[in-house]
Amino acid sequence: MKLESVKRYAKKELNGWWIISLIGAAVILLPILYVFLEIFQEPNENWYQIREYLLGNYVINTIILVFFTGILTIFLGVTLAWLTSAYDFPFRKFFRWGLILPLAIPPYIAAYTYRTMLSYTGIVQSTLRNQWDVQINPELLSFSSLRGAIFVFTIFLFPYVYIIARAFLESQSSSYIENARLLGRKPTAVFFKIVLPLARPAIIGGAGLVIFEVLSDYGVTSYFGIHTITTAIFQTWFGMYDVDTAMRLAAWLMFIIIGVFILERLLRQRKRYHLSNKSKPLVPIKLKGVPAAAAFMFCTIVLSLGFIIPLFQLIAWAGLTFDKVWDISFFTLLTQTVSIAAISTAIIIIVATIIANVCRSKWAFPYILSKVITSGYSIPGAIIAIGVLAVFIQLDETLAPLYSYMGLGDAPLLLSMSIVMLIVGYVIRFMATGYNAVEVGFEKIGTKYTEASRLLGHGITKTFFRVELPLIKGALFSGFILTFVEICKELPLVLLLRPFNFETLATKTFQYAKDEMIHEAAIPSLMIIAISTMSVVVFHLIDKRVKK
Amino acid sequence: MKILEIKGLTFSFTKSKEPVINDFSFSMNKGEIVGILGQSGSGKSTLLRLIAGLEIPNKGAIHIAEAPVVTEKLFVQPEDRSVGMVFQDYVLFPHMTVKDNLLFGLVRTSRNERKSRLKEMLELVQMEEFELRYPHELSGGQQQRIALARALAPQPKVLLMDEPFSNLDSDLKDSIRLELRSILKKTGITCILVTHDRNDVEAICDRSISMSRIGDGNVSSIEKRIRIK
Ligand SMILES: Nc1ncnc2c1ncn2[C@@H]1O[C@H](COP(=O)(O)OP(=O)(O)O)[C@@H](O)[C@H]1O
Ligand SMILES: [Mg+2]
Repeated sequence: MKLESVKRYAKKELNGWWIISLIGAAVILLPILYVFLEIFQEPNENWYQIREYLLGNYVINTIILVFFTGILTIFLGVTLAWLTSAYDFPFRKFFRWGLILPLAIPPYIAAYTYRTMLSYTGIVQSTLRNQWDVQINPELLSFSSLRGAIFVFTIFLFPYVYIIARAFLESQSSSYIENARLLGRKPTAVFFKIVLPLARPAIIGGAGLVIFEVLSDYGVTSYFGIHTITTAIFQTWFGMYDVDTAMRLAAWLMFIIIGVFILERLLRQRKRYHLSNKSKPLVPIKLKGVPAAAAFMFCTIVLSLGFIIPLFQLIAWAGLTFDKVWDISFFTLLTQTVSIAAISTAIIIIVATIIANVCRSKWAFPYILSKVITSGYSIPGAIIAIGVLAVFIQLDETLAPLYSYMGLGDAPLLLSMSIVMLIVGYVIRFMATGYNAVEVGFEKIGTKYTEASRLLGHGITKTFFRVELPLIKGALFSGFILTFVEICKELPLVLLLRPFNFETLATKTFQYAKDEMIHEAAIPSLMIIAISTMSVVVFHLIDKRVKK
Repeated sequence: MKILEIKGLTFSFTKSKEPVINDFSFSMNKGEIVGILGQSGSGKSTLLRLIAGLEIPNKGAIHIAEAPVVTEKLFVQPEDRSVGMVFQDYVLFPHMTVKDNLLFGLVRTSRNERKSRLKEMLELVQMEEFELRYPHELSGGQQQRIALARALAPQPKVLLMDEPFSNLDSDLKDSIRLELRSILKKTGITCILVTHDRNDVEAICDRSISMSRIGDGNVSSIEKRIRIK
């Protein structure tokens, strides 16, 4: 293209919105690049030690967790999705969305709740002892280490598989399944020969989300004392303040993530089915008698384990510690959490809206831009946190002359001790959550209103405020809620990036649990669960509106 | 005065593909109503989008009222071109009433002028009682009148209409055609009307051009006819 016509294109497309978008993308990309670049640096002694004695063990633990959680969540998620979409039984409608509720309880909260319930003094053993005089081999119930972590991850993360598989089964598969039924195949044969292979892309997509969560986890694994690459990142930073080695570990974890990502793509794409897009919804078969009761029982057990039991236990504990925990300092904690989450979410939604608006134009570059800014979601919080930390420490070093010129003392850690660092971390990590919601809003309205407005004499900024914003505000609202909830639940990133003595509901809960003050942890935990339930409700409402 | 002049216009959606518009030239005088005829996919909508500034041509130039709006070096934003457009599906803003839709395009006008212009436009399309309705409370034909009034309100130099009858019942078409012509002539607007129906052109336009596919690519050919009254 000639230079002049490039200039002409720039004139059509470039504007303030673009400039903000490019800055946003750079800020998001920088910490991630920093982590990658660490690989080309000369490693230090700590690294050789870790690699020699520990890394093998970390990697093995990580693989065991990922493998078993992956298999079990697929089993549970798909079975439940199949049951609630292909069969009708008592309370099916309730279970249909109720089975999403386990997502409202962050796994680290579930971990300490279950472990305490099953301990010698916990409700299970003491009831057995006192009511029925039954003594149980403590080994049998010991709820820690890998077994406990796999249980917790499975019960509290399976909804990812469940949601995606169910949406797929309900909307896409009816003709195949009905055909198989008409051909006289037994339900089990239909399930294994038709449903599983058909739903494979959906199942793998859901399992991918679960695996990313497991790889990012710090709360559950560190509470159970399992060493993984993520916990190692924490140890090198908090134990040795060695940011270079922490970054090197993060880069390793990053490679595993990329590996999983590629594997997921391969597994998903090898077989593509051309499903008719006009397919009608699957009509469930009515179950009666024993099968109906069994289906009901199965859903009830899963929902009890995944939501009701821990919820009631936490409520009971909250009652015990209410007077002690529910005071002014708790109120401060709450407002602190809500305001930091609200500020970060507001930044995310504003930046996401600007970038999503820019990315509606047709050339290839916006596509890359949108991929860049949403990349944070598939990267564990710990990796992003270490990258942000390194960038901020570097910034403080670079700005040191300026600081001393301003009379702030010699080389103070100004930025890297401030709340700004945490907000930047949140923004990078959860940009995708907000962006995807905003993008859906823009996709729904298309470009025609924008074009109409511009032909009536309004520039893009005025068009945005008068036409687009009113039309996408529902999408912005649900994006806000979903992002806000994710931030309130987040643990590893805030642990690494918070300023000294700064607490949120999540860090306080985790601190109580680590200090074995389990009963005290109940109230902040319940608060987090209440906030998380909001996003489940939003999910449910969106689902309902889509159906209409 | 030539109110619209297009010279050697060439456009393709992707570089590798055959151009949708190929070396197209055309001009029209003030107050003319010109029909553009062509089968579906022959590039009619694309031509309108190029005139409006919603797409950038690969080659060629467009002048409106003797001022360049796009050349090899220059590009004027759609909002600064003084081009009005009635879209195929009207695109009335769903969150605004009829009144607000009409006022939307009156940017640099005083308050009193806006008021009188609103009244004038509603009278022109005979929709005075519908001022406070929302678009979804109107029938298809009523929506079309409002879309027309909205596009005319800012007094554009050129009005573009893309398949204005495609969403209307066919038994209404005859009377609507005549009404549209009388509205357009009353305002003295210069108008390009795109359609695939020769009857539309014969009822409304002063002359017409037809665009057609030749060979593999979409090549625009020109054929002029003077309207016989
Ligand atoms: N956004 C687009 N991207 C690629 N090709 C397009 C796009 N819009 C239209 N086309 C193609 O350009 C040609 C002309 O389209 P259009 O101008 O809409 O035709 P008409 O309005 O005469 O039916 C068609 O072959 C169509 O497939
Ligand atoms: Mg068209």
